[in-house]
Amino acid sequence: MERRVAFESSFAIAEAVKMADIDVCAAYPITPQTHIVERVAQLVANGELDANYIPVESEHSALSACLGSSAAGGRTFTATAGQGLELMHEVVYVASGMRLPIVMSVCNRALSVPLSIWGDHSDVMSVRDTGWIQIFAENAQQAFDLTLCAFHIAEDPAVLLPTMIHIDGFHLSHVIEPVLLPEQEKVTRFLPKYHHPFALDVNNPAAMGDFALPDLYTEAKVAHDMALRNSIKVILQVWQKFGEEFGREYSPVETYGAEDADILLLTMGSFSEVAMEAIDRLKRAGEKVGLVRLRLWRPFPFEQFRQTVGRAKLLIVLDRALSVGGPGPVCSEVQAALYHLKERPQVIGFIGGLGGRDISVEGFQNMIHRGMDKASQGKPGEIEVFDVREK
Amino acid sequence: MNDITEIRWHGRGGQGAVTSAELLALTAIKEGNIAQAFPSFGPERRGAPVIAFNRISAGKPIRSRAAIAEPDIVVVLDPGLLGIIDVTRGLRDGGVLIVNSSKGLATVNSEIGGPWKLAVVDATAIARDILKRPIVNTAMLGALIKATGVVNLESLTQPLEERFGKLSEINVQACSKAYKEAVVMEYSPGVKKAEKVYPIEKSLSWKELNLGFVVTEMGNARSYRTGYWKSERPVRDNAKCIKCGMCALFCPEDCIHQDAEGYFEADEFYCKGCGICARECWTGAITMVEA
Amino acid sequence: METLSIYAPRLVTKRQSLTPGHRACSGCGEALALKFVMKALGRDVIVVMSTGCMEIISSQLPYTAWEVPWIHTLFENAATVATGVESARKALARKGASLPKAKVVAIGGDGATFDIGLGALSGAFERGHDFLYVCLDNEAYMNTGIQRSSATPYGASTTTQPAGKASFGQSTWKKNMPAIAVAHDIAYVATASASYPFDLMNKVKKAIAVEGPSYLHIFAVCPTGWRIPTDMTIRVGRLAVETGVFPLYEVENGKYSLNYDPPQLRPVIDYLKPQGRFRHLTPEMVDKIQQRVNKEYARIKEKAAQ
Ligand SMILES: Cc1ncc(C[n+]2csc(CCOP(=O)(O)OP(=O)(O)O)c2C)c(N)n1
Ligand code: SF4
Ligand code: SF4
Ligand SMILES: [Mg+2]
Repeated sequence: MERRVAFESSFAIAEAVKMADIDVCAAYPITPQTHIVERVAQLVANGELDANYIPVESEHSALSACLGSSAAGGRTFTATAGQGLELMHEVVYVASGMRLPIVMSVCNRALSVPLSIWGDHSDVMSVRDTGWIQIFAENAQQAFDLTLCAFHIAEDPAVLLPTMIHIDGFHLSHVIEPVLLPEQEKVTRFLPKYHHPFALDVNNPAAMGDFALPDLYTEAKVAHDMALRNSIKVILQVWQKFGEEFGREYSPVETYGAEDADILLLTMGSFSEVAMEAIDRLKRAGEKVGLVRLRLWRPFPFEQFRQTVGRAKLLIVLDRALSVGGPGPVCSEVQAALYHLKERPQVIGFIGGLGGRDISVEGFQNMIHRGMDKASQGKPGEIEVFDVREK
Repeated sequence: MNDITEIRWHGRGGQGAVTSAELLALTAIKEGNIAQAFPSFGPERRGAPVIAFNRISAGKPIRSRAAIAEPDIVVVLDPGLLGIIDVTRGLRDGGVLIVNSSKGLATVNSEIGGPWKLAVVDATAIARDILKRPIVNTAMLGALIKATGVVNLESLTQPLEERFGKLSEINVQACSKAYKEAVVMEYSPGVKKAEKVYPIEKSLSWKELNLGFVVTEMGNARSYRTGYWKSERPVRDNAKCIKCGMCALFCPEDCIHQDAEGYFEADEFYCKGCGICARECWTGAITMVEA
Repeated sequence: METLSIYAPRLVTKRQSLTPGHRACSGCGEALALKFVMKALGRDVIVVMSTGCMEIISSQLPYTAWEVPWIHTLFENAATVATGVESARKALARKGASLPKAKVVAIGGDGATFDIGLGALSGAFERGHDFLYVCLDNEAYMNTGIQRSSATPYGASTTTQPAGKASFGQSTWKKNMPAIAVAHDIAYVATASASYPFDLMNKVKKAIAVEGPSYLHIFAVCPTGWRIPTDMTIRVGRLAVETGVFPLYEVENGKYSLNYDPPQLRPVIDYLKPQGRFRHLTPEMVDKIQQRVNKEYARIKEKAAQ
């Protein structure tokens, strides 16, 4: 029987990890990820999850142990946030290049200095180019569903790429909400067994991790790139299968009230739901606005994205990360994706929600209006940091 | 020649090809030219074939930093390389080839002659004689200068002093001796380069790489002929050999195997010529000779 | 000690898990040490290797000199990757997978072990995973061109602490890595040298027989970095032992035993003299090194006598 429980996203993820029957979790605690790994450790301690929990001495080691586990053929999970993801950084590239389908929850957190344990997407942007599949959840239910799907996608023989599920620190990780948990049996049927074709095996030895001379490095990188780009097919299939089995649909680019909208707001992560409220209010006031939620961050869903926003007049993009001295990271990608279209919306970027700063429903209404003003005045500007005290 | 003279050095890791290129660039720059020196950046280790490059120009700015595919001048520091690497690949018609060899001009020309000027010097003998070590890079600089005049011999003294300190004097001597002893055969147009097939490693396309760049053909490094690295090879005196296998035990290449008669024989294909087998032999049955 | 029959070499297995065609320098003592390690390990082994000379010389895409399952990921994490392999295999076996038996062995250079990967190694030891860690100690970062590490001996000239008018090279004493391993209270710690292959291979076998972590510290002469002729590799390794610079000992469950204790140690100068990296040392410095070696050797002897 499906159960309805009250879980924060952290517990929802731990539950998905349990139902996926992982073999190894190697992790190092960092706020706001701690609830996930504590819960996984507890499930192992209770005998509810038959896995080895490796309490490593750093995040670098957390992901390094995951490399070994995944390469040995174990279903492998880890979680981190902010500084932890930074300490892992070089290992992050290795996991994807070596095609080890580790699933990692990232509880999005700001980066020092100043030290901040609170949420934003600075850590996400620092691993943008690491070759992982990256997916955003917006609430606890999605955190559960998408984590489950992540194992399916990552371990698909046509994919074999590690996958990050991003959840916003505190706004998701620590907020209790209702979550529907499916029956274990149904999950077991949904999720195929993990098999790596080159898993470390004395009967079928293979060498993993050769170095490449300039003569082969480009080819190696292209092979990785093609694998990540092509993974979108499997992502769509798995989400479709999930929808059929469990009744909840996901797609790379999702919208809210965008059908007849001239003006679109783009968000990623938990702020999307706040923005929905703002869209409702503005619509009621007769404004032709809508919301675009980028669920799949990597591989970037170029096609779906262009189809969704191509006909709008104005696209307002919220970045929860400040690329110091540069453009808004999501905004500039979006601009690049649209550049080749003959007709494309004007794009206006805002930076906001840094280091745990909330954006309220009114805040989003103001942001949309401010964006419309800038567009009509023909002054898009490079970046604008939303809600910053000047005096 | 062109406004920019391009030079390619062929040697082995540890032989000083890179140092030669550096010294040449320092000298050319001191003379007021514009010059460049760089190695082929790679993981090659002591004994493995290596390449280094120079570009020299009287005034035209040198902008390319790419490896030189069509050199005006090729210098070969190790005679053993001639059989295994296509050292004259891309050498321009009318260019210059300078080779370290004890075989003399005529023989070298018959082996590797072509539409270029050829200079031959026995730099190894010179180095052994003067430096007491087979490090031929400074001698080869002397031969290069004689055959091409890219820089003046005297200009080399100061860079040699700065590089070699106390040892600079003998290096200057080695250089001058090679300058004197190098013999040159002028360019005669129309001569054809001898046809010869060299081993080439096939380059894979991205689709041919295994998932995650995994290698499943275990031990396929066996196809790599490290035997090309050696400048000396072990020779066994069967009269002294007691067939104990001490040589095989200590060979870092694990390339000494017992033959039908029970002798431990080094596999030429892999032997790098380190000399450990000779040194560790109980009875002194093994000696190292020029490869 | 290594006084076996002169025909003993013939008994060493011909099987190669590390094949010829590897690209180590001519005369490389680290490749030789690795050869012995692999011969002793046999085929039922999964090798995890850190970045360094031995990795680079054996794994140029699309080639491998390995015939056993092998994984290299980064410079500082071989111990940790090994713990991941070991943990996954344990979990899979518990859940019913039929896995062939295999020992997990992590191999790293002194840089990987003493310096950048020390925290990771300590964590792996502390957690008690069943694996062997082999340190191939050539006393510097050789892969990147002879830079100093905390394994570099006092007085040696390296490219990042070279000898010069105002420097005599390495100004610190070699870190006591085996003692650090022993401090983790693991069941087996030993030192070995490629110049004493039977002792080395014996220790490999003992180390993998242990349940839980074990640590093998192997002295690996690097002719390129130490500036010695390539044929002197074995000789110099022997001199290190005969002078007491690198004693061969084991620590089994905390109990020290000295495997080779000559009646009279040779003076350290015999070991230092053939090596270019010590060429600049003054008699006073040699004397200082001699004092230190005497003290350290006595300490090991004392522990072994307990
Ligand atoms: C994080 C990181 N820092 C630095 C390097 C560069 N690096 C590669 S191998 C190496 C030295 C290896 O030294 P050691 O572990 O002693 O092995 P050896 O090459 O001497 O056998 C260094 C510094 C690297 N690969 N990764
Ligand atoms: S010289 Fe002897 S020890 Fe050295 S590689 Fe050749 S056969 Fe092996
Ligand atoms: S640098 Fe030293 S350790 Fe590295 S391959 Fe050469 S001899 Fe061996
Ligand atoms: Mg080292």
